[in-house]
Amino acid sequence: MKFSNFYILLLLFTLTGNVFSSIKNDAETSIKNIFGEESTLTFEKFKLQNELKNSIEKEAKQKFFRDEVYLWKITKNDSSLGFAILDNVLGKAMPITFLIIFDKEAKILSSEIIKYREAYGGQVGNRNWNEQFIGRNAESSFTVGKDVDGISGATISVNSVSKGIQKLCILAKAIKEKP
Amino acid sequence: MNNFLKITALATLTIPAILFAEDDEFFTPKSTIGGYGELHYNHSKADGSDAEKILDFHRFVLFYSHAWTPKWSFKSEVELEHNFVKEGQGELELEQAYIDYHHSDEFGFQVGVVLPSVGLINEWHEPPLFLSVERPSYSKNIIPTTWFGNGAAIYGNVKGFDYKFTVMEGLDATGFSSSGIRSGRQKGFESNAEDLLYNFRLNYTGVNGLLVGTSFSYNNATHVDSSSNNSVSLFEFHAKYDANNFVGVFELGNITYGEPDLIGGVESSFGYYLDLGYNVGSFMNCDTKIIPFFRWEDYNTAAKTEAGGDSEKANHLTTWMVGLSVKPIDQVVFKVDYGVSKNELSDAKTKMFNFGAGYMF
Repeated sequence: MKFSNFYILLLLFTLTGNVFSSIKNDAETSIKNIFGEESTLTFEKFKLQNELKNSIEKEAKQKFFRDEVYLWKITKNDSSLGFAILDNVLGKAMPITFLIIFDKEAKILSSEIIKYREAYGGQVGNRNWNEQFIGRNAESSFTVGKDVDGISGATISVNSVSKGIQKLCILAKAIKEKP
Repeated sequence: MNNFLKITALATLTIPAILFAEDDEFFTPKSTIGGYGELHYNHSKADGSDAEKILDFHRFVLFYSHAWTPKWSFKSEVELEHNFVKEGQGELELEQAYIDYHHSDEFGFQVGVVLPSVGLINEWHEPPLFLSVERPSYSKNIIPTTWFGNGAAIYGNVKGFDYKFTVMEGLDATGFSSSGIRSGRQKGFESNAEDLLYNFRLNYTGVNGLLVGTSFSYNNATHVDSSSNNSVSLFEFHAKYDANNFVGVFELGNITYGEPDLIGGVESSFGYYLDLGYNVGSFMNCDTKIIPFFRWEDYNTAAKTEAGGDSEKANHLTTWMVGLSVKPIDQVVFKVDYGVSKNELSDAKTKMFNFGAGYMF
């Protein structure tokens, strides 16, 4: 390849890549994809009370990124369809933003990486990898290599995200029981 | 190649990033540290000589990084080898130090001290990530791991395909010999930039636990002391499967030389290795990973020569190894292995027993 071609390629990459969408919008698009356009989303910033936060952190062996998560309750004609939680875990250096969508029994319907910021380890965003979490709940095991498939070259992200998903499962159970 | 174009390309990339503010409520600028290290006990006994016993804190590594924005960050890796540095003993190396611009999942670039993407271990060499105490001999003698240098790279992931293209300092052909290209690395030390190294790698990671990929590197390597060149082309294939308690690793590489006459008639170097391991900890229902493994390794830094015959056997080593890798947590590993390597020409055997402890964070 001639360098001038290479330059044009770089230019195209740069110009086309700058499509702006916020994290919250991306998450809501994913939720609508699961529950349909007619579903109603109610958004809140869910504050984690100390007692609940500590007990979840102890069980999953990982701290929460902040003392709040983004929570959507999904309804249709006033009946509950489920809910979705968006949270972050730390990768090697940057936060990884992920969205877990639950049915009304707090079982995972979908797991998705909404934003990955590191140069390496982005394979945790692969659909195949995320699909293994479907159907899991607070009672499931999340040991990487045993219950969760690893990814070569993404060890830190895989460990981090798996624990993050476990935390949200436990949180989802608590939200289900005490809405 | 036109230098003006290169600079304009970089400028074009950076300007839009500066103009558009970034909307990311979860990001806060911060610095992070990480690192890894490994202690080794090596016991080796060659035919007809006394056993050599070494206790070595082989590598102590610190990663330091800072992220200014979600897209702009700095990453570095500083390595101290063999505890201390004095008159050619031990090494202090700046193996990575680059500005990273992560535009999107599909595209990013790095400029500074970078790693060419060759084989599994050059970019990922933390001790819990490979089974043996020492890195495979292949990853030293065929792929000159850790291979780093001054340059730039673009990278990204498109539909499960991970690519990286690196342009960096070339090798110094003065260091080439029947032992391969390892001694040709310039390690970023006021590197001669007469002829650059071009390296392209493509990985596929679309199946859980599987990584399969290939890379090609070309450098019309300069003799730093004279004006003659000896080009090298390095082609390699790599695959790793790590899921369902099974670990399998396979790497294969071939180097061809443009001017065999300059290095005693060596036309090519070739090697491969295979690792098979299984986490037997899964049978005991414990979280500690206990992975017995077997390795077969074969490499020849003078695999094809102009003279042929014995000269193609003198640098040919085959090794078998059995070992155990124990990980109480994924970031800490204790390893033990035993192996025997054999030289094809002399039939001389070396027996090796190694113990290691390593960590990463």
